[in-house]
Amino acid sequence: MRRWRIPAGVWIGGAFLALLAFPLVQRSQYYQHVMVMTMMAAVLASSWNILGGYTGYTSLGHAAFFGLGGYLVALAHNYLGWHPFISTWFLAIVVMAVALLLGWIALRTHGSAFVVVTIAMVFIFRIVALNLGDITNGARGLTQPRPGWGGVQWSPEIIKIPFHYIVLALLCLTVLVSWRIRLSKFGLGLVAIREDEGKAEAVGIDTMVYKVLAFGISAYFVAVAGGIYSYFFTYIDPQFIFNIFTSVTMVLIALLGGRGTLWGPVLGAFIMEPLGDWLVGTFGGTQIHLAVFGAILLGVMLFMPQGILPSLSEIRIRLTRRRGPGLSSG
Amino acid sequence: MTIPSTHLFIQTLILGVLVGGVYALMASGLTLIFGVMRVINVAHGAFLILGAYFTYWLFTLTGLDPLLSLVITVPLLFAIGWVVQRYLLTRIQNPEQASVLVTFAMAITMEGLMGTVWKTTVRTVRPEYASSVIELANYRLPVTRLAGFAAALVVLILLYIMLQRTNLGRAIRATIQDRNAARLVGVNVEMVAAHTFGIGIATAAAGGSLLSMIYSFNASSQTDWISRILSIIVLGGMGSLPGALLAALVLGVMEQLTAIVITLYWSPIVFYIFLFLTLIIRPQGLMGEVVREKA
Repeated sequence: MRRWRIPAGVWIGGAFLALLAFPLVQRSQYYQHVMVMTMMAAVLASSWNILGGYTGYTSLGHAAFFGLGGYLVALAHNYLGWHPFISTWFLAIVVMAVALLLGWIALRTHGSAFVVVTIAMVFIFRIVALNLGDITNGARGLTQPRPGWGGVQWSPEIIKIPFHYIVLALLCLTVLVSWRIRLSKFGLGLVAIREDEGKAEAVGIDTMVYKVLAFGISAYFVAVAGGIYSYFFTYIDPQFIFNIFTSVTMVLIALLGGRGTLWGPVLGAFIMEPLGDWLVGTFGGTQIHLAVFGAILLGVMLFMPQGILPSLSEIRIRLTRRRGPGLSSG
Repeated sequence: MTIPSTHLFIQTLILGVLVGGVYALMASGLTLIFGVMRVINVAHGAFLILGAYFTYWLFTLTGLDPLLSLVITVPLLFAIGWVVQRYLLTRIQNPEQASVLVTFAMAITMEGLMGTVWKTTVRTVRPEYASSVIELANYRLPVTRLAGFAAALVVLILLYIMLQRTNLGRAIRATIQDRNAARLVGVNVEMVAAHTFGIGIATAAAGGSLLSMIYSFNASSQTDWISRILSIIVLGGMGSLPGALLAALVLGVMEQLTAIVITLYWSPIVFYIFLFLTLIIRPQGLMGEVVREKA
């Protein structure tokens, strides 16, 4: 007897419709805010996963691209009047170009050294943003006008809704690209690099080009999210947006859900982000939430290094195996 | 940009060397740990700050001199490091990949706990001689930095003697050269790893005690310190102790010079620029060998 299973398409479609209807059903500003941040975390983790999950290169530097996207969008808005909802998609291409260049340097290192180099990237960007005071306004940060469209500001009751839909669109695009990459020859090459870079090179994969491209693509969506983020909060400063903690969050979410899987980072975000929000809400003002966050990361690394989704499918395989012989003998 | 006078230049050079000595002590433990275990201990900065806070506590509660407090903080952090290696780091599967994230998680957890216990107020330990200065041939030598340099030198010499003259030291060097060969000739590699981690953390304790009287600090300073000493060991060649000492002096001097020639605000970037340049031009660092990656 085979158990009837709900096809994946139904799950995905249902989740999409639920997210589409969310701000219309849930009118609380607080929950709308948490949902925007959760979907944004899912974008960041999924995008990080294209490099960190598929090729296995752990980058803690993606906060640099998040911040750069945020700054470019804020500057273009303030000086040129470009609307962030449109400009962020184009300015992220600039960030991607920067990422390709930095990736070309950083990806000469492997393993732990790569992690260290990417950490340094975040600090370099922060120091530059702090010191180019004439452009970035230094430590005082940049303020943007209150969000609106065509000269009309959105009223406070509905202000989260446009952000909800643009982040949802970005999330769909990110997952779609991640899925297409996973199925493509390019994606196979990336996974081959993760499994054995030497052998991948030997069978004719130009590993450097593959890695650098993956680095650039995974920086793109992070940069788009950074642009939307800077408009969502209408204020950014270097300490806040070039924050190594942003990178660590991406990694933790991807690891928790399942590194290298398509839906793991999304699942991880829908667990971690509300949890993180609750932690800050409960212990806010103290630094204890930092300790709790670190302890969770430590726990995941030590006891569930594969993440939720791979662990679940392992359990399912074990269960069906156990059931199989039992049926045939009885 | 300002071009400094010869006097200012030499003064800066002296300060750079004094600072570099303390950096060398801080980096020595990190590079030793990497050499033996191939683990980059990202929590090293957090252990430095922990050492600094213990010194601060001893100083404010009992008035113990920060240099004397080494006698207490060094054994204490040795024990903590030993336990962490023995009961936590050995549990990691696939350590070469995962150890950075695990030690990063440790660093965040420690930062959160220290921030909770000691709050976010910036602290510094100020013994009576904190603001005294020795004038030598027209050059000013702050006593705390001089004492810090001297203490760092003593600890480094002790570390050197330990590595060269004792059985443990020989076992550590053997493990750095070839882990499997060391095991074959009867070295208990697991015990060596635990001892090395303990020793590495103990040098961080010593570095932290010196830091506490030269710099002001709070829990979140740990990110600043770990990125400095990481740059040092990358420049020196990861796992190479002489390389780390040389790189610490070079970066100490470069940092002070940048502060004088450009501005104080740009000086931290020196570390990161050097880090990038090293990796592009000479990935094995000044005195290291190419780190072999497991295929």
